[in-house]
Amino acid sequence: MSEIKLLSSDQATITVQKEVAERSILIKNMLEDVGEVTEAIPIPNVNESVLKKVIEWCEHHKGDPPAQADDDSDSRKKSTDIDEWDQKFMQVDQEMLFEIILAANYLDIKPLLDVGCKTVANMIKGKSPDEIRKTFNIQNDFTPEEEEQIRRENEWAEE
Amino acid sequence: MARSRPEPVIVSASTSSSSSSSPEHFTCNDDGSNDFVMVPDDNVSLAALTEFRNMTVSPTDKLTVTHKQLSHQNIQHVSSTPPVYRLPPELLIAIFSKVSSVVDLRSCMLVSRQWANCSVELLWHRPSFDEFIKYQNMVKAVEDVNATYKYAQLIKRLNLTTIAGKISDGSMEPLVKCTKLERLTLTNCLHLTDLPLQKIFDNNPRIQALDLSQLHSITDNALLAVAKNCPRLQGLNIAGCKRVTDASLIPLSERCKSLRRLKLNECNFITNAAVASLAAHCSQLLEIDLYKCHNITDEAIGHLFTQLRQLRELRLAYCDLLTDDAFLQLPTRTYDFLRILDLTGCELLTDEAVNKIVTAAPRLRNLVLAKCRNITDKAVTHSVIKLGKNLHYLHLGHCQHLTDRAVQTLVRYCNRIRYIDLACCTHLTDQSVSHLAGLPKLRRIGLVKCQNITDYSIQTLLKGSKDMPCPLERVHLSYCTNLTVDGIHELITNCQRLTHLSLTGVDVFYRRKDFTQFCRPPPDEFNEHQREVFCVFSGSGVGKLRNYLNAQKAHSEGTPNLDQNYYVDDEDNQDMDEELEEVD
Repeated sequence: MSEIKLLSSDQATITVQKEVAERSILIKNMLEDVGEVTEAIPIPNVNESVLKKVIEWCEHHKGDPPAQADDDSDSRKKSTDIDEWDQKFMQVDQEMLFEIILAANYLDIKPLLDVGCKTVANMIKGKSPDEIRKTFNIQNDFTPEEEEQIRRENEWAEE
Repeated sequence: MARSRPEPVIVSASTSSSSSSSPEHFTCNDDGSNDFVMVPDDNVSLAALTEFRNMTVSPTDKLTVTHKQLSHQNIQHVSSTPPVYRLPPELLIAIFSKVSSVVDLRSCMLVSRQWANCSVELLWHRPSFDEFIKYQNMVKAVEDVNATYKYAQLIKRLNLTTIAGKISDGSMEPLVKCTKLERLTLTNCLHLTDLPLQKIFDNNPRIQALDLSQLHSITDNALLAVAKNCPRLQGLNIAGCKRVTDASLIPLSERCKSLRRLKLNECNFITNAAVASLAAHCSQLLEIDLYKCHNITDEAIGHLFTQLRQLRELRLAYCDLLTDDAFLQLPTRTYDFLRILDLTGCELLTDEAVNKIVTAAPRLRNLVLAKCRNITDKAVTHSVIKLGKNLHYLHLGHCQHLTDRAVQTLVRYCNRIRYIDLACCTHLTDQSVSHLAGLPKLRRIGLVKCQNITDYSIQTLLKGSKDMPCPLERVHLSYCTNLTVDGIHELITNCQRLTHLSLTGVDVFYRRKDFTQFCRPPPDEFNEHQREVFCVFSGSGVGKLRNYLNAQKAHSEGTPNLDQNYYVDDEDNQDMDEELEEVD
């Protein structure tokens, strides 16, 4: 099994099985374009700890069948079910959670991006706007009038 | 529908991750636009959709600025900023697209300006309402020129079926402000007339799926507006729009060349000319339903088959002028894509037509020959069996010439059948049922009015599955008057998957109030007599009947035979067709 090296944004070199790294479509395409590589592939947007975490995910999911074509058929019906291993994997602080999402997006690992987005969606589920703000430490930058107006305009979506 | 959903933008230039849409559904991406932000003209450009009202002096002005700053600075974040702020809008949108309830999406909108900007499109993509007042609330926001967003531009799909009875021309009118509609479902909005619809179609060139079924009042004018303005139309359902004629359908077929699915049920005025034009111009047609289009003749079928080689589903129920020639004249090639053919009530067809059909469409999965009364055993033993394992669904109700021999041969060759209906095949006996019991995947069996059937049939059905759990889910035994309580008890005890059992007109059941308490109520349109004999157990009713029969049996083992003698009188039952029951 051939191996390749990745170079994180903080200059750490990580050796990984080619098959594992190719869960990333970005890396896969890159390897296809350049053929054999000996030196480390720079991943400038992802630091070592996040990259290791992402590789851990890729490692566990290396044998997964390719995503179904109708995977993203209807988002509203889409369940936010996450398999057990992934749930545990995602039990990280928000810092890491959002870094994983950013890395999955950058590296083009759609299933990991999905898991990350679902995890955040589950954190939103059932919460009031204020509870959401508290959860993610978001500042309410609406004026009271703006907030009231948006509330009124979207009243139809209330329970 | 994934299409108009924002897909995360991948930073890599070399990715090719755009997923293609399936032609299985009314998908809405024939222009190939998929990516978010990248396509200036399309519906999902964030900049375009977050057009805040222009408030030069108001503090809201900061809204867009904040948002732009955030989208550009996501990489060089400041460590004091909470991590969620690092997400660029496209990733926030990706997250919101996993938020499944509108209530939660609405909460997202109220969190902050950036969150509002990123969730508004998803929330308004497909507004839905369970009450008319909510629709009215939405319309208010749509009409308000000072609204925070141009909501009318965000609505892509609208389904008003749940509030159909309340929708009038007046309440529909404000929707002319929408210009990005892709799907519009107005099933049963009976009060609607042409006028508001014409205006809506005039403004919505992106419409791809349109359901106007049962809008009795609409005329060619509404459909001419569709023809004129909606070239992307892929699915059209005008079932029950009885006023529609060739005068609009012909221009529509010439303009809406992407049509794939078309339901023209009960559009009585439609003639061969419209069908010919559809066949000539809409080469992508996959499904056509011409139920009760009584003017359709053999010639129309020729046009369909000559031009549309990839046709998948063709429903011609009660096109009662059709003769064998419709099929005998077909070219000798095969139609490998045709899966569903419904010829209910095409009474002139004979075994010859069936033979040609099966030869021409060897991969048929669903074949409906109900009420093709001329059909004989030969159609089955020489023709239908050629479909072999492809055949999953076969309806031969009212093919009264059929005998046990046909069923025996059928089962030998077509052992993947899941659904079979033999209602009113009055020659059939317990022998047929014992053959059918050999079908390992049989889930639904219809034997209404097969009056030779006895409890013996039930025993064979149960034996057929041997050690396996009985696969039957839906069993129709109405008017099988020889059946006894014990027989049904045995069926219901052994078929744990049963979710539907109809015993209408079986007097040992419908006369027993203690049994019928578990029935579902008869349909509203039933008359008194029909209500009296109605006896259908479905859903939880089956389980309740099972428990009751078990309890009763346990009880009666001590006290035998209290009230088993019931007066039998079924002479009136004969006129009640099995269709009066709900067929699945």
